[in-house]
Amino acid sequence: MRVVLIGMLNILIVLLLSPLYEGIMRKVRAVIHSRQGPPVLQPYYDLAKLMLKDDQIAEGNFIFKSAPVLCLGSIILVALFIPLGTAAPLGFAGDALVLVYLLTMSAVFIILGGMASSNPYAFLGANREMMLLLVVEPVLAISLLTGAIKAHSLLLSNISGYMLANPTFSMAVAGLAFFLVIQPEMAKIPFDLAEAETEIMEGPFIEYSGRKLAFFKWAFWGKQVIFVALFAQIFLPWLRTSFAPVNILISLLEVLVLVVVVELIATLNPRLKIEQAIRYFAGIIVFALAGMALALLGL
Amino acid sequence: MSTGHELLNQIETKFPGAVKVDSVTERVAFLSVCDEQLVALADFLANQMNARFVMEIGTDKRPVNQKYELSYIFCLDQEGFEISLKVMVDENKLEVPSITPVIPGAGWAEREVYDMLGIVAVNHPDPRRLVLADDWPEDLFPMRKDFEHDNRPPAAEVKKIMKEPDGNATVVSVGPFFPTLEEPAYFRLFVEGEKVVGCDYRGFFSHRGIEKLADKVLDYNQVPFMAERICGICGFVHSCSYCQAVEMAAEIEVPARARYIRTIMLELERIHSHLLWIGLAGHIIGFDTVLMQSWRVREPVMWLCEQITGNRKTYGMNLVGGVRRDIPEDLHPKILETLDKIESESRTIIDAIIKDKPLLMRLQGVGTLSREDGRKLCVVGPTARASGLETDIRVKYPYAAYGELDMKAAFQTGGDVLARTLVRAEELFTAIDLVRQALQKMPEGPIMAEFSDIPPYREGISLIEAPRGESLHYVLTGPDNRPYRWSVRAPTYAQLQAIPDMLSRSTVADFPLIVASIDPCFSCTERVETVDRSSHTIKTYRREELLQQLQNKYRGGERS
Repeated sequence: MRVVLIGMLNILIVLLLSPLYEGIMRKVRAVIHSRQGPPVLQPYYDLAKLMLKDDQIAEGNFIFKSAPVLCLGSIILVALFIPLGTAAPLGFAGDALVLVYLLTMSAVFIILGGMASSNPYAFLGANREMMLLLVVEPVLAISLLTGAIKAHSLLLSNISGYMLANPTFSMAVAGLAFFLVIQPEMAKIPFDLAEAETEIMEGPFIEYSGRKLAFFKWAFWGKQVIFVALFAQIFLPWLRTSFAPVNILISLLEVLVLVVVVELIATLNPRLKIEQAIRYFAGIIVFALAGMALALLGL
Repeated sequence: MSTGHELLNQIETKFPGAVKVDSVTERVAFLSVCDEQLVALADFLANQMNARFVMEIGTDKRPVNQKYELSYIFCLDQEGFEISLKVMVDENKLEVPSITPVIPGAGWAEREVYDMLGIVAVNHPDPRRLVLADDWPEDLFPMRKDFEHDNRPPAAEVKKIMKEPDGNATVVSVGPFFPTLEEPAYFRLFVEGEKVVGCDYRGFFSHRGIEKLADKVLDYNQVPFMAERICGICGFVHSCSYCQAVEMAAEIEVPARARYIRTIMLELERIHSHLLWIGLAGHIIGFDTVLMQSWRVREPVMWLCEQITGNRKTYGMNLVGGVRRDIPEDLHPKILETLDKIESESRTIIDAIIKDKPLLMRLQGVGTLSREDGRKLCVVGPTARASGLETDIRVKYPYAAYGELDMKAAFQTGGDVLARTLVRAEELFTAIDLVRQALQKMPEGPIMAEFSDIPPYREGISLIEAPRGESLHYVLTGPDNRPYRWSVRAPTYAQLQAIPDMLSRSTVADFPLIVASIDPCFSCTERVETVDRSSHTIKTYRREELLQQLQNKYRGGERS
C-alpha cells in the first residue's frame, strides 16, 4: 500500500510540478535578460493550449504517432525508480541499471519520432541527439557504477546511503561527472544542439504539433525534474530528517536550487557545435572512468 | 587632379585610343569604351590596378539616342578614385561581353541587367534569372522605358532554375522563410552529414520595383522618402546617398550644417545597427543574454533618434540640397549623455564577449574569407575589413562631414566571424566618437541649399559607408523633374555573392551564423517597399488620446 502511495506521489510530483519548475527557469532566464518574463504558470497554459489545439500530422506512420506517448510513458516509469525524499517506490536490486536504460529510452523515442517524421531538419536533430546520447549516457552509467562499486550494491538507496555515511574522493568525482551531464540530458544550452531552434528549428520536434508536442514537452520537463532530483538524492544526501513529508519538501527545494543553477549556466553560454560537444564529453568520460578506477582502488 | 590624369595616362598607354574621356574631376572619371575593349579594360582595372568592381547599371536611353547605356562602376580604394566605364549597346544587338570571367563579383550585376533590360552578357558562367519572379514572362524587361510601372503581365510558366547537388549530398532547404533570417531568402544547402558541400541561392522574393517608380512616378524630392523605405535599419543611408547623387549631378553645394547633421544621423544609425547585429549574432548561437542586453543598450539610441527627428526609424530628414530638421543646441547635452551611457554599457558587453571562451569557440575560424577571395568577390564594409581589405568609404571617399572629422577605420586580418565581430565592435566606438566630434564642430548656418532647376542628363554617383558596407546610388538626371535613372546597389548585394565561398568549409550548425555575419539585409538588396495595406481607414486622434498612447508606449522606459 505504502509503495503505491509513494509511487502515486512521485508521478504526481514529476507530472504536476515539472511545469512549475520550467516556469521558474523561464523567470530566471528573463531576469538575466533584463526582461519581465512570462508568468511562472505559463508552462501550464502552454500545455493546456497545445492539448486543445488541432493535431497536424504530416507523416502518418505508427512510430511518429506513438513516440510522444511512449516518451512520456518512459518518463512516468522512471519517476517510480527515483527516491524523492523517501525510498524509491520500485527500488529493487539493480534499479540503478534499469534507471539508466529507461532514461535512455525517453531520448530514443525522441530520435525515433524525429526520424519517422522524414523531415530533413528532424533527421539532423535526431542525428545530433544520437551522437550526444553516445557520449553522455556512458558518463551517467559510469558515475552510477562508481557509486555501486563503493556501496557494493546496485540499489540506488544503498548508493545514496553510502554517500551519506562516507563521502569519498571517487564519489565526489562521480558526482561532478554526473553534474556535468545534467545540461545535455536536460537539453539545455550549451548542449541543446538536438533542438537548436535557430539552426534546425527544434530538430526532431519540427513536425509535431498539438497533443503530441504537448506530450513531448511534458516528458522533457518531467525529465528535468527527475534528473536533478536523482543527482540531489544520490550525491547530495545530507539534508535529511526522520520525518518523510519534510524530506519530500527538502528534496523539492533541492530540485529548485539545482534547476536555477542549470538555467544560469544555460543563459551565460552559447550553444556548442556537435563536434565540440563530443570532444568535451569524451574528456568527461575519461574523467568519470578515472573516478571509477579510484573507486576500484578503494579511494 | 593628378590621380585621375595619371590613371587615364596609364590606361591610354596600355589601350591607346580605346577610351574616350567624357568628364573627369578629382574624385571620379566618366569614360566611354567600345564593347570589344571592355573585358580587357575591366581585367586591367580589377586585376592590375586593384580596382574594386562596384556595380553595373543599365539604362534604357532609346528615347534619347536609340541606345542602351551600361555603366560599369569601379573604385580604386587606394587612391580614393571612382571610374565609370560606359558602353553603348545598340537596340538591335542587345549583347555585351561578360566581365564575370575576369571579375567573379560582377556575376549578379550582369544577371540583373539581363533581367531588367534584356541585354545578354555573352560568356556569362551562370546566366540564370536573378531578380525577376519565376513566373515572369521571358520576353518582358521591366526597366525598359516602354514598360509601364503599373503593368501586370499574366503569370507565365514556372521554370525550375535551382541547382541540384552533385554526387549523393542531401538537400537541406533553408528558407524561403527561416526563423533566423527575418526576411525571405532561399538557400539550398547540399549537405553530407553535418558538412556543407555546396549551396545555391535564390532571393529577390520581395523585389517590388522601387527604381521603376522613380523612373515614372516620383519626382526628385519624393524619391528620398521612398529611398528611406528601402531598408528598415539603414534607411537614412539610402535617402542621404540618393540626395548626394543628385547633388553631385546638379552641382549643388550643401550647407556645412546640413552635412554635419547628416553625419550625426548616419553614425547614430551605425550605432543602433551594430548593436542590433551583435544581439542577433548572439541569438543565433543560442546566447540570448547577449541579444537581450545589447538590444536593451540600443534602445536609448532609438529614443534619441525619435527626439531629433520625430521617428525611431525612417526619419524623413533628407531632401536634395540639405536636411529638413535641425538638431537644436538644447538637445546636445542629452545626446552626449546618451552616448556616454551607451559607450560604457557596450564596453561591458563587448569585453564580456571577447573573454567568453565558449563563444570564441563558435566564432573563431568560422566562415573564413581570405583577403584574395574577398577582393575577387568585391565584398565591402565590415566583411571586407575583417578580411584585411582596406575599404572604408568614410576615409577613402569622404562625404558629408567625414573629411573634417578625425577617424580611423577598423581592420582585422582573420577573415572569420570573430574578425567581423571585432570590426563591428570597434566601429561602434568609432561611431560614438564621430557623433561627439560632429556635435562639437557643427557650424551655424542654413540647413538647406538654394538652387535652381536640375539640368537633365547629368550623372551622379554617391557612395556611403552604410553599417553593412558600401552603398551605391547612381542618378542620371531627367528632363521632367525626376531622375531618368536611379539605381541602388546595397552592400548585401556584394556580400551575398561571397556566401558560397564562406560556406564551403562549414557545417549546418555554422550556416545561420555565417549568413548573419555579413549582416544581410535582403530588403536593401531587393529594394523592397513595405506598405501596410491592411487598414485603409483613417482614424483621427484627439490630443488626449495621442498623449495617452504616447504614455502607454513609453511605460517602462525613462525619457525626459
